[in-house]
Amino acid sequence: MRLYILHKTHYRYPSPVCESFNELRLHPLTNDWQSCESCFVSVLPTTQVRQYLDLNGNLVHHFEIPNDHSKLLIESRSTVGTQKRVDFDNLPYGATMKSLHEVEGNPNCRPYLQSSNFIDISPGIWRMAVDIQENSKDVFQTAYQIMEYIYLNFEYCVSTTSVNTHANEVLERKKGVCQDFAHAGIALCRCLGIPARYVSGYFYDPTRDQSMRGSGASHAWLEVLVNGSGWFGLDPTNNRVVDDNYVIIGSGRDYRDVSPVTGTYFGRLPESMKVDVQVKRLDS
Amino acid sequence: MNPNTFENYQTENFFDEMFGNSNDSNIFEFYKPIYDRITDLTESEFEQKKKQADSSFLEHGVTFTVYGDDIGTERIFPFDLVPRVIPDKEWQKVEQGLRQRILALNLFLNDVYHGGKIISDGVIPEEVVKTSAHFRKEMVGFDVPQDIYIHVCGSDLIRDEKGKYLVLEDNARCPSGASYLLENREIMKKTFPRTYQKMSVRSVEEYPEILLRSLENLTPRKLQKPVCVLLTPGVYNSAYFEHTFLARQMGIEIVEGKDLIAIDGFVYMRTTQGLVQVDVIYRRLDDEFLDPLFFNKNSLLGVSGLMDAYLKGNVAIANGIGTGVVDDKVTYAYVPEMIHYYLGQDPMIEQVPTYLCWREKDRKFVLENLSELVVKSANESGGYGMLIGNISTQKEREEFASRIKDNPRDYIAQPIISLSRHPTFCPHGVEGRHIDLRPFILYGEDIEIVPGGLTRVALEKNSLVVNSSQGGGSKDTWVLSN
Repeated sequence: MRLYILHKTHYRYPSPVCESFNELRLHPLTNDWQSCESCFVSVLPTTQVRQYLDLNGNLVHHFEIPNDHSKLLIESRSTVGTQKRVDFDNLPYGATMKSLHEVEGNPNCRPYLQSSNFIDISPGIWRMAVDIQENSKDVFQTAYQIMEYIYLNFEYCVSTTSVNTHANEVLERKKGVCQDFAHAGIALCRCLGIPARYVSGYFYDPTRDQSMRGSGASHAWLEVLVNGSGWFGLDPTNNRVVDDNYVIIGSGRDYRDVSPVTGTYFGRLPESMKVDVQVKRLDS
Repeated sequence: MNPNTFENYQTENFFDEMFGNSNDSNIFEFYKPIYDRITDLTESEFEQKKKQADSSFLEHGVTFTVYGDDIGTERIFPFDLVPRVIPDKEWQKVEQGLRQRILALNLFLNDVYHGGKIISDGVIPEEVVKTSAHFRKEMVGFDVPQDIYIHVCGSDLIRDEKGKYLVLEDNARCPSGASYLLENREIMKKTFPRTYQKMSVRSVEEYPEILLRSLENLTPRKLQKPVCVLLTPGVYNSAYFEHTFLARQMGIEIVEGKDLIAIDGFVYMRTTQGLVQVDVIYRRLDDEFLDPLFFNKNSLLGVSGLMDAYLKGNVAIANGIGTGVVDDKVTYAYVPEMIHYYLGQDPMIEQVPTYLCWREKDRKFVLENLSELVVKSANESGGYGMLIGNISTQKEREEFASRIKDNPRDYIAQPIISLSRHPTFCPHGVEGRHIDLRPFILYGEDIEIVPGGLTRVALEKNSLVVNSSQGGGSKDTWVLSN
């Protein structure tokens, strides 16, 4: 599938601000099942934009605007080809929960098994995870049940949480948006010893009535490592195994590692922040 | 001999769009259906198709005007029936490269009219921008609607002897040709209906609709249906046919300066029902003629007070005023730097290496190598004011040398690129003719490019000049969907 994504972020400030330093994680990844043909990131007021690769392998654009400005507009335009990532007739069952101790010592998995900024490993969450696990002895099966549990029991509602809401709070109040659902899923998986990471990206809604969530904004979900089969994406917001309708920007321990726009400036809080994402299918 | 035979076809040393670099006449697979169709035609069938096409153009009034020609003013734009075919993968790359380029150009205009950070950071010399003939200091500090300066851009593309696409120049003022693109397609659909369908050619007919949407996007009033008009210089303009055509296709009024009036910072159109406020003006008139109070005092084509209304934000004008800075061929030389600077990446489509005569070292090189270079005036278009070294006379070269010395800022030079060639009907069979491509990039809520564009062809043998004003013709461009 070829997808085109236009992602606009527009800040307006009540009075001019200055010395704005920003990092953008908006450039889709290229890997085995996804290839980023092009991505153009543009910034207004005009300034020099540079890029680097961060420690998680995500491409970061960064810029500064020293002079006074009362609006900031960030746009990215990406064209991405995606491939069938999972075979739905042959899902990666077979890795047992017992085998998880094998990945425990693997340095590539360690960050995804521990507490991080928005995620705690705690007895309370472990208790909840064990209840969801029930009799499952399979890694993918367990992770799937966690996704389904969140989808069925959590209420999707905007503006009850913020970008800084911790997974503990989400698990307690059972409310939030895709970011919160991903955090909750990661916390539950990690407590059972399943390596889980946070993925930021986009979702193309293939349904005719646009009944899925997350296609009008940047989206987020989690990925779990299934021993011997690699990372698999699970989207608790839509109760879906991640397939070629998803475009990955990048992944990290939690939202903090891959937030699309982050930075500092001197001045008052924005009076408005508008995010608009359009995902369009180019082929067919 | 039949005009539609490939019997004596020679690709010579050029990149041929149908056969590539090979001399063993291995045709590209994607050209096969149309090649077969053409070669299957009998001579009389071919003649009939040709006649049909010509009369359609005449009936539709698809004409243009050549300036400085005393004989006939209006002519049919010569049309060649062999379509240019671009496979989808190839077009995808071109499309993305063009999107990148218009983004950078637009950011550059935002920048130079708002303090010029790219200048203070030392990437582009200040004198390049400030001495540009089309730099409009009236625009400094003004925020154009939606921050978009270039709403319609025609960045001409050529292919070199290896088939690599290169940007030849940018037309960010009033690029014309979209009407020919649409008319050519209409006629090709009638001429080769089955082949057209079989090859699953991507359609171009949405162009007027997308253009109208990009115009409406600029409206200062939040109206369901903003009032957009097309401002033409009038019936004597070379592109008048296009103006009427596009206005009709978009369903908007075509107006001349005298049909508009600016009152108290607003622009109105005189209609039989009284004055109607205008929101967006799609102008097909250069900056200098828009408002006699600001620019050319002798202009009868513009509207007094238009700039005032524009700068007050009460009317939008597309393309924005002052976009000509990027048409300047000296600015062109810096576009790769702009892309690096604003977008932090490399250009996806390269461009022709350019010597700037105001740099002493470049000038010296240019003057010593005039016969191997193309010299162009920085601010002329349409193939006027240019010297092609290898076919020039000693006298022409001397004349250009003295012009360059007198006014180095106004001249640039480029190596002579062997433009790719395309099979074209000629009286004695099909022959290769040089071509370029003018795509039309529309920048509204997002950037949209109709697949392909206008392929222009130099009908004279060995000529490298494809401009209609210099005897060029056109072809339909077929972008295939996978």
